[in-house]
Amino acid sequence: MNGSKGLVAEDVSLAYGRTVVVEDLDLAVPAQAFTALIGPNGSGKSTILRTLAGLLVPKKGSILLDGSPISRLSAKETARRIGVLSQGPLAPEGLTVLDLVRQGRYPHRSLFGRWSVEDDAACEAALTLTGMGELADRPLDSLSGGQRQRAWIAMTLAQETSILLLDEPTTFLDLAHQIEVMDLIADLVATRGKTVVAVLHDLNQAARYADHMVMLKDGTIAAVGRPETVMTAATIQTVFGVAAVIMADPVAGTPMCVPIGSSDRAKGRGCQY
Amino acid sequence: MIRTVSALLVAVVLLLLTGIAHGDHPVTIGDLVSVLIRSAGANPQIEMIVLDLRMPRVLFALLVGAALAVAGAIAQAVMRNPLAEPGILGINAGAALAAMILIVAFDTAPITLLPWAGFAGASAMVATIYILSWRNGTTSLRIILIGIGLSALAGAATTSLTVFGEIRDVQRAMIWLAGSVYHANWSGVQVLALWLVAPLLLAFMSARELDLIRFGDSAAQSLGQRVNLARALMILLCTLLSGAAVAAAGLISFVGLVAPHMARRLVGPSHAKLIPASALIGAALVMAADLVGRTIIAPAQLPAGLVTALIGAPFFAYLLWGRRHVAA
Repeated sequence: MNGSKGLVAEDVSLAYGRTVVVEDLDLAVPAQAFTALIGPNGSGKSTILRTLAGLLVPKKGSILLDGSPISRLSAKETARRIGVLSQGPLAPEGLTVLDLVRQGRYPHRSLFGRWSVEDDAACEAALTLTGMGELADRPLDSLSGGQRQRAWIAMTLAQETSILLLDEPTTFLDLAHQIEVMDLIADLVATRGKTVVAVLHDLNQAARYADHMVMLKDGTIAAVGRPETVMTAATIQTVFGVAAVIMADPVAGTPMCVPIGSSDRAKGRGCQY
Repeated sequence: MIRTVSALLVAVVLLLLTGIAHGDHPVTIGDLVSVLIRSAGANPQIEMIVLDLRMPRVLFALLVGAALAVAGAIAQAVMRNPLAEPGILGINAGAALAAMILIVAFDTAPITLLPWAGFAGASAMVATIYILSWRNGTTSLRIILIGIGLSALAGAATTSLTVFGEIRDVQRAMIWLAGSVYHANWSGVQVLALWLVAPLLLAFMSARELDLIRFGDSAAQSLGQRVNLARALMILLCTLLSGAAVAAAGLISFVGLVAPHMARRLVGPSHAKLIPASALIGAALVMAADLVGRTIIAPAQLPAGLVTALIGAPFFAYLLWGRRHVAA
């Protein structure tokens, strides 16, 4: 035990049945920073995220939270320290935003403990932070995709954990809502000091917003570090099998990936790269 | 919320009084009051009708209805399926098979054994379904699918037994299965009430677990719920409640499905409100069904289970119709 702070995966292997999905993974999640998990479909991103959350038990190795194995913590104890937003979560019919957000207080309440002032305050803060205060009494079914996603994020915020693990928080959202959710995450890290790990699909958004990128291929880490070091034409080629040009994002200056497809080649474009 | 529950309470009390007053021999309000306050001038015949015949019967209906409805609310939360009801756990099929076996194979067995056999059959069925669906934990979908399969199998076994049974025995079993509260008496009411107190209270106290488990295994687990444990305990509660109701009154269909839906319309999806509201609505439904069943073609009586099916089937169609635009 090295007593290191934060969330660490040590020599972790994962399998579904006999299919090994992740092998010998070592990963330290930087505290109070935004880490993006990037990789092709089936590269084990979601699996790793769920393992970091303690929801999947690794076949080998362990997940350490502030130096002690997460498997020794009770489910509630873990839920008080790590908040998870699964991919495409579904809520029961007829629930309001507030009903949903209140569920985030579950791990803080004893078996028969009553709803407390702190519970109210945490829900209130989560709603304000996500800009959902005015929609609190609206049924979830009546909201747009972006609002619904913010409601779910509000629920994980009501958990008051220092670590947030988000599985594809922007998938199925239109551009405006994607930016809205990414801004919210960046703000949570910058002003609230949260540690965020998010599985993302959009390379350019990841490079722009994240402090730290982990690029995965076939369950192993292909590249890790700051976006500038991870987003290179060479890694994109090895990880995604796509030729690409990396240039500076005209707005943020972060690396931006412009892929070159076979139709471009056919038209004689991108040959200089 | 308080208003809705009070209104439901009033409805239940009114049904209780109507159930006592109505029947082959009408009882006036005056008679009823004098019997209830046990005044010396009460007519002994009326006293007998009220205290020994009708009162246990309406109370029995009340308890059976409340148990079925709460079991239904639990089943819908645990299965995350608005069309779920306790029958999906194989409770009805198990009870029916056990009752048929008892009646056909042991035709000398006393009729008082019937409820116990029914309960044993229901519990055995739930246990089998649960064990078969276990593979590093269970999922609601696996339970539902295995439940449907085993129920069909048990149904086939029940039907084949009717072929071998003495026709009189089979008819006796059929009457029991039809679901009725004719045979209610005070000792039955007492046993059922004592049996139901703990599970009903526990169901009410589990409101928070039920609220959370509806979100799906993954979300519930990440919020700190021990999902497999919670699900097993909830299924146990559901079995204790609906198994007892089926054992006591036979198969009274649709109450477990319909009552939680009506309650949800009235008080919303939170189980702290949903459980008590379902209990009251279920009680009212079975009392009303029995009242209708014994007055509509008097002096003949329709079993309450038949009346609830007559009301329930169209409601089920209405539910499906209302959900025709909801993605599966």
